[in-house]
Amino acid sequence: MFQYVLRRLLVAVPMLLGAMSIVFFAMRVLPGDPCVAMMGDQATTEALADCTKNLGLNRPLAIQYVDYLWRSVQFDFGSSLRQGYPVSEYIARMFPHTLLLVMASAIVAALVGIPVGIVSALKRRNPLIDYPLRIFALLGLSMPVFWLGILLLIGFSLHLNLFPLIGGGDLDGVIHMIRTGDLFSNPADFLAAVGDVLHHLALPAFALGFTLAATVSRLSRSAMLEVISQDYIRTARAKGRGEWAVVYKHALRNMMVPLLTIIGLFVAIALTGTVLTETVFTRPGLGKMLVDAIGARDYPLAQGAITVFTMIIITVNLVVDMLYVVVDPRVTYK
Amino acid sequence: MSNHRRHRFSLVLFAVLAAFTLLAMVGPPPAEAQKKKVLNIAAKEPETLDPHTSILGQTQAIKRFMYRGLTRFAIKDGKVTTAEVQPDLAESWTLSPDGTVWTFKLKKGVQFHKGFGEFTAEDVKFSFDRQINRTPGTRFGVNLGVIKSIEVVDPHTVQIALKAFDPIFLLRMVGYQQGYIVSKKAVEKFGDQYKWNPVGTGPFYFERHSPREKIVLKAFDKYHAGRPQIDEVHWFDVPEDSTKLIGLEKGTFDLLYPEAVTADFAGQVEKMGAVIDRRGPGGQERFYINMTKPPFDDIRVRRAFMHAIDRKAIKETMYPGGLARVAPSCVPPGYFGHIPMTFPEYNPEKAKKLLAEAGHPNGFTIKNYFISKSFFYPKVLTLAQEQLRKVGIIVELQVVEHATFHENIRKNLNPFVLYGGTRITDADPWLSLFFDSKEIPDPATGNKGTNFAHYRAIDDLLAAGRVERDVKKRAAIYAETQKRMERDLVCLPISDVPGQWARNPKRVSTPFDPDYGEFSLHYSYNYPEMLKVLN
Repeated sequence: MFQYVLRRLLVAVPMLLGAMSIVFFAMRVLPGDPCVAMMGDQATTEALADCTKNLGLNRPLAIQYVDYLWRSVQFDFGSSLRQGYPVSEYIARMFPHTLLLVMASAIVAALVGIPVGIVSALKRRNPLIDYPLRIFALLGLSMPVFWLGILLLIGFSLHLNLFPLIGGGDLDGVIHMIRTGDLFSNPADFLAAVGDVLHHLALPAFALGFTLAATVSRLSRSAMLEVISQDYIRTARAKGRGEWAVVYKHALRNMMVPLLTIIGLFVAIALTGTVLTETVFTRPGLGKMLVDAIGARDYPLAQGAITVFTMIIITVNLVVDMLYVVVDPRVTYK
Repeated sequence: MSNHRRHRFSLVLFAVLAAFTLLAMVGPPPAEAQKKKVLNIAAKEPETLDPHTSILGQTQAIKRFMYRGLTRFAIKDGKVTTAEVQPDLAESWTLSPDGTVWTFKLKKGVQFHKGFGEFTAEDVKFSFDRQINRTPGTRFGVNLGVIKSIEVVDPHTVQIALKAFDPIFLLRMVGYQQGYIVSKKAVEKFGDQYKWNPVGTGPFYFERHSPREKIVLKAFDKYHAGRPQIDEVHWFDVPEDSTKLIGLEKGTFDLLYPEAVTADFAGQVEKMGAVIDRRGPGGQERFYINMTKPPFDDIRVRRAFMHAIDRKAIKETMYPGGLARVAPSCVPPGYFGHIPMTFPEYNPEKAKKLLAEAGHPNGFTIKNYFISKSFFYPKVLTLAQEQLRKVGIIVELQVVEHATFHENIRKNLNPFVLYGGTRITDADPWLSLFFDSKEIPDPATGNKGTNFAHYRAIDDLLAAGRVERDVKKRAAIYAETQKRMERDLVCLPISDVPGQWARNPKRVSTPFDPDYGEFSLHYSYNYPEMLKVLN
């Protein structure tokens, strides 16, 4: 097991390197450059040359590339071209917001999607149950998160006034209280801050979670269908176990392996979903930061954000692979 | 798992979910900020708060809350005028008889934010020198190129010697771009970090920045013209115009700085009872015709070109109704020296006739016409392309990157050039930039000027205007330049596009008329301290 993890970690290095190189060159192949983005229609030739020189973008691409890799190895991702903040510090501030959103939407997706998928599979012969559930899945699949997001904002934020329109709540405050231990000395404030964060999180998590839930329900439906057609399910039924026990004890555990793969996948989907969700809900986070960074051709910031995204996906996939062992004792790694 | 355990698990799960929902629904207690007068602005996030380093709209808008200059645009008859100035950080000034040395007496007791002490002549010298010396990142040094030297006479007197008399020097000293005064001590203390530790003398000081979320400014108690009524300004980073509109209706935001004001946007603003504050002159979109490049070296072809272009139709397609105005002159209204000009009216038949007279009965084709893919360029040019096609002028477009566009128009590859922008609001810098023969771009000499018309006929007037000290005579000189341009058909202005913000009038008031009540360059509110939060 240990050797397997080590091997996977070693494989992750060229993967990360590959991803970083692709991002580096893709950003430069993209039309437009940071100076034009910064100067708008007042970008004269002289001003552009001056700006390019100040940002070090007039150096040969190969040198910029080597410089970027060498600095990255030392965990120096440079500073934002526009705002001047160190990229690592910037990402550290944005990361908790995105992590929270991904986790919350994953929970929503799992809590809604898996039961819907299972029920839809089990009741596939009952059109009154299966059809509405499949329509739900179709709706979620075909409704882009930015559109659902705007609808939720208009309904729940503007008209019903139940949720805030923008922002991520006082997450910095919560983190600070956890770090300093203030949460024990001042639990009321801590709870209020947590409430504020959840209040801001609810709509975006629901919007992203709902669109993910559709995918999860479709995938878990087919996983369940596959499992319940197996011989051991028939055996379980034949020996007289109740339906609940058959599903819960025999089928669910066995469908966990494909489901785990799905969860690995949907962290990736959720991460890309944060880009749109954070923009529509105006939440701080890596996704919104990435959109702005690409728009402004802020190379270091975009590179840093995508590197972090890649690292998260590699880690999640590794964790998922390791969880297979826990879920299915037949799986072993050497 | 036994039934009992299962039920207990379900109960716990239910309780957690219920608590989550309840917390999420209830949210935090109403903020104590209710008592404070808070102005909530939705715009994009500025990339720096150093006033000398950015030309982005949102950055220029927020700077004005924090910084001031020696002079300011004059408030006259309830309007913020365009080309006249009043003292701001300077108390008074004198000009030497030869017109080259300005002596500014500075107001005493003006304080910088955050205890950085009193504003002095040293700060003035420092603020201009850092730009003249082209400190990396600064962008407006070119506007101070006329300065020869700056001398601190005493803490409250500064003497600025010019290379030659400059009729618009006081306009250059306005709190805008190069004119802002920063605290020398603060810039030296913070170095590279100054961009997020700004220290000025304006009505609001910088409190904090939560990246990708908001910037908080607070009222400066010691602001030299009196503390503003508003206690705090919250500048939210909201990239989406649709979110901005929902926020305006809901009351989350009081002022919006939209990415683009479309007819739909304006309609929605009006429907919710909000107003759009339009601030001229804004940017002008216009054509220059290269009078040296065949066939446009023939004035009949230039006249035909102008008859072929339906300026009103282009303006209405790009900016319907009040969103912009058909530009009346090659010197935009609001600039000192502006007079209305007349241009050949839209008449394709006349255009065809003129082309035939000039030896192009079947029109002609312009190959490899380069146009930027950014901003208004491709849209305006496609409309013009269609109109020109109707009279037989075929324009084959090559859509290129903005930087390539800039390169190519300076290589004189386009026989007519579409261009836009805002400059210091006086005819002299404007005309000098676009019509002085010194600015004719020439790849052979490396001249990268912007006289795309290759015009040479007003050099004498520009030279006279630069040394003329009598305001009326100067105005007459610039009127004459516009008449000559009218005669020679070198420039066809299309739209004057104002700066536009949406405002909730029930929450925030401004003393100036929403419709062009104040002049603004890149910010829409010259005097943020005059904004009032109403409840």
